[in-house]
Amino acid sequence: MRRTNWLAALLIAPLLLLILGSFVVPVGLTLFRAVADREVAAALPETSALLASWDGQGLPPEGAFAAVARELAAALEERRIGDLAQRMNFESTGLRTLLLRTARAGDRLRAPYADALVALDARWGQRDTWLMLQRASGPTTSLYLLRALDLTRTPDGTVTQVAVEEKLFRTLFLRTLWVSLLVTFLCLLLAYPVAYTIARLRAPWSSVALTLVLIPFWSSVLVRTTAWYVLLQREGPVNDALLGLGLLDAPAQILGTRIAVVVALVHVLLPFAILPMHSVMTRLDATYLRAAASLGANGVQRFLRVWLPLSLPGVAAGGAMVFLLAVGMYTAPALIGGDRDQMVTWFIANFMTRDVNWGMAAALSAYLLAMSGAVIALTRLLTGGAVQTGARA
Amino acid sequence: MTDALVRFRGVSKSYDGRTPVVTDLDLDVSRGEFLTLLGPSGSGKTTTLMMLAGFEDPSAGSIELDGVRIDTVPPHRRGIGVVFQNYALFPHMTVAENLAFPLSIRRLKREEIATRTRRALEMVRLPGFGDRRPQQLSGGQQQRVALARALIFAPKLVLLDEPLGALDKQLREELQAEIRRIHAQLGVTMVYVTHDQAEALTLSDRIAVFNEGRIQQLGTAEAVYERPANPFVAGFIGESNRLAARVLDATLLRLEDGSTLEAMPHAFAPGTAVLVSIRPERVLLGPGTQGLANATTARVEEVVYLGDHSRLRLAHAGRTDFVVKLPRQEAVPQPGSLVDLAIPVAAVAVFPA
Amino acid sequence: MREHPLARVLLRGATGLVLAFLVAPMLAVVVLSFSPTELMVLPPRGFSLRWYEDFLTAGRWVLATRNSFVVAIATTLLATLLGTAAAIGLQLGRFRGKALLVTLLTLPMVTPYIVTAASMYFAYALVGLTGSLPGLVLGHTVVAVPFVVMAVLATLQTFDANLLRAAASLGAPPTAAILRVVVPNIWPGIAAGAVFAFATSLDEFVITLFLAGPGQFTLPRQMYASVREFLTPTILAAATLLFLCSLVFLLASESLRLRSARKTLP
Repeated sequence: MRRTNWLAALLIAPLLLLILGSFVVPVGLTLFRAVADREVAAALPETSALLASWDGQGLPPEGAFAAVARELAAALEERRIGDLAQRMNFESTGLRTLLLRTARAGDRLRAPYADALVALDARWGQRDTWLMLQRASGPTTSLYLLRALDLTRTPDGTVTQVAVEEKLFRTLFLRTLWVSLLVTFLCLLLAYPVAYTIARLRAPWSSVALTLVLIPFWSSVLVRTTAWYVLLQREGPVNDALLGLGLLDAPAQILGTRIAVVVALVHVLLPFAILPMHSVMTRLDATYLRAAASLGANGVQRFLRVWLPLSLPGVAAGGAMVFLLAVGMYTAPALIGGDRDQMVTWFIANFMTRDVNWGMAAALSAYLLAMSGAVIALTRLLTGGAVQTGARA
Repeated sequence: MTDALVRFRGVSKSYDGRTPVVTDLDLDVSRGEFLTLLGPSGSGKTTTLMMLAGFEDPSAGSIELDGVRIDTVPPHRRGIGVVFQNYALFPHMTVAENLAFPLSIRRLKREEIATRTRRALEMVRLPGFGDRRPQQLSGGQQQRVALARALIFAPKLVLLDEPLGALDKQLREELQAEIRRIHAQLGVTMVYVTHDQAEALTLSDRIAVFNEGRIQQLGTAEAVYERPANPFVAGFIGESNRLAARVLDATLLRLEDGSTLEAMPHAFAPGTAVLVSIRPERVLLGPGTQGLANATTARVEEVVYLGDHSRLRLAHAGRTDFVVKLPRQEAVPQPGSLVDLAIPVAAVAVFPA
Repeated sequence: MREHPLARVLLRGATGLVLAFLVAPMLAVVVLSFSPTELMVLPPRGFSLRWYEDFLTAGRWVLATRNSFVVAIATTLLATLLGTAAAIGLQLGRFRGKALLVTLLTLPMVTPYIVTAASMYFAYALVGLTGSLPGLVLGHTVVAVPFVVMAVLATLQTFDANLLRAAASLGAPPTAAILRVVVPNIWPGIAAGAVFAFATSLDEFVITLFLAGPGQFTLPRQMYASVREFLTPTILAAATLLFLCSLVFLLASESLRLRSARKTLP
């Protein structure tokens, strides 16, 4: 048996290595990136070191002024000032211009640097500028995680709300949560009678109905999303039908609305609600119903007191799966939804590719993971771990 | 046991490190013998067999095959044939492919494999079944194939793990005869596990009775049946009436109801509490028994007709569950009537209480 | 036990409507893909294969199709091999924490793809795997392999462990026992896992978006880009062909399910 365990280990090892190397470690890195703060220390090593020993009172010593002037000029020369400027601008808008201006002035500055820098830009004479530089010297920061909850730190370190016009993420998370819950609720509502009916249908018909559920299950999410894109166009069949029925006077803009997103998400995720319910219900023994009837229960009582409680594990599994997929879905909302009504996933993608703010992408990812993990843990808790969650999407 | 093929020495097994399944087992299996490991479920008999086959590792001790330690050798290099209770025929292979499997693993030539497969099928009286799938065979046929597969690579030792457990009574008896015939014909050593004492008595040269991880008695069928070493063996093999008693002298015992019972001379000191075991079929019944040893009269409580014999439940020795077996030809008394009975001295087995 | 007749009618009616809702959009796409004009209206005004001709002759669609299939085939091979081996190892081994290991190996199944994709992008960038087909295959394999593990583990539940013992007693070393006894008996599960892996890869969009190079378009990526750019019935022809693939997957997986169900019967 010892030998068998060696063989087992040998068989598992390649996949384990792949999952660790290509999934666990990368996700771990992402979580780390949500708190990592290396741009300042990388571009201004000497300044960072000097600021580390500054007590934060008044202004830093002349040496720090000299170091920042020299290191900024060098960073510009070697074209590595971009990351730094972006990082500091995220701390406080306008710092980018300050840093770039100082970097360009680098050669012309002469000692004493404190006077020269303040003369160049008055912000060098403000304690807050230096406090922000000091705090951003790493190695970790709570900036991204706070900002993802619409919080920020003042230069002296207290946590406060961001300005009203910059508020974004709490609404975003609530919106994502609300749309996901709505989609989950609608899916469960539509799926239950379907699963019930299919489980109770006779031989050929149950297979036919189940096939009609499996067809969308196996179809590409993008194909189905594209279908809705076509159907919901201004000149599309849905508008045609609504006009034809006299429900609309003029074609409506459906694409880009939240209704369109919810409809497409329900369509994409409905099979994931029906299938677990169906698999639980087909395994329910009809003799329970007969027993309940023999004990005097009428149809409604049989359903409410026997069938419904016994089928709840399927409902829990289906609900958890739909919610998980809805929260993490990128394709459908990105294609169907409006730019001002997007989900967390869309912002992650945007921070990754357009804004290149990997800290924010990582922070949003961390919260998204926490949401998914909470749902999985909750489902396991409620169903005693009996239900497997997982799906293809 | 000078010519032992298998030697267990001090073998113990525990799955969790605390609860022992097999404890300090010493056992020799002689070359060519048919040894049965008999015992209730959980007695350690199957675990012992699995350790011999190599599917379980002993926690302590050593196992030798032919003088070579094998307990660290992986099962596929032990060369021991195994017949499983559920047959374990490969469902994706035909009967012939199943039989050829051990031979092709050993890289035998194609013609050699064909010849030996044909001969093996003849041996288990299934010629022409080579192209069938195992699922197309009856349970008895599948077990014959499994037996042939375990024998085809000419192992020195074949282990059988309750091989007839899933079959009905008639088929079981038929296959018992078949196994005996093959054992006699090939002279291969067989170790057989069963919980069915009748099967053990029918097949075995020797029986090892297991209970709670230990061998309770090792001996011929006749020895374990007629001269059980302890109350467990007496109770597990065959049926027995057990009575509590106290020693009066070298042959006399006093039962709980105050009556005396004569036994063969024994070594217990007077006053010792003992347990008496009496086989139901050895009690003599009828008018002719008066004047014999331990003669008495008892009331019949219940009569159960069983075809070849009848079972009588008697009120005797202060109890109402004293069982006696009456052969078919004798007149069956009515419940409530009184019968004469006698218990031969040799039928009284005395154990420590 | 019958329901009340009215309840029955209502239930069946609702079920019919929901099933129609599920299938109708795909049917609409199929019908519209044969539209003779660029107008996508129902009912169609005629029949034409011009959009399919366009699909088959447009270089970018052909390239995307080729990329998709190359990646899907490589992903399927890798995921099936690694997933099957791991599932067999999980079944064979006797050690603690097996449930935890299964959870770990199937974690990519329940992690939001966007998080997986972003994480892979960070990590692959460090080792220079972004923008390459091998990187894409690795990424797809990570999200496809849990399905293989689950499918094979499920089939192994019905595999009689005594068959392995029998093979060992007959002299087969573990590798031979696995190849000659285990694999032939659980192949429907392996094949089902492979179908899942192929479908997952063919369908995958988010990871491709992050890991693929600027010129490496797959069918979903090409579809997404085309829809955003300008909606033409060529996209619907592509969607219909993908839909056809999914029907093949459905058929394959159902026939494999029936086969393994039959196998487990006594």
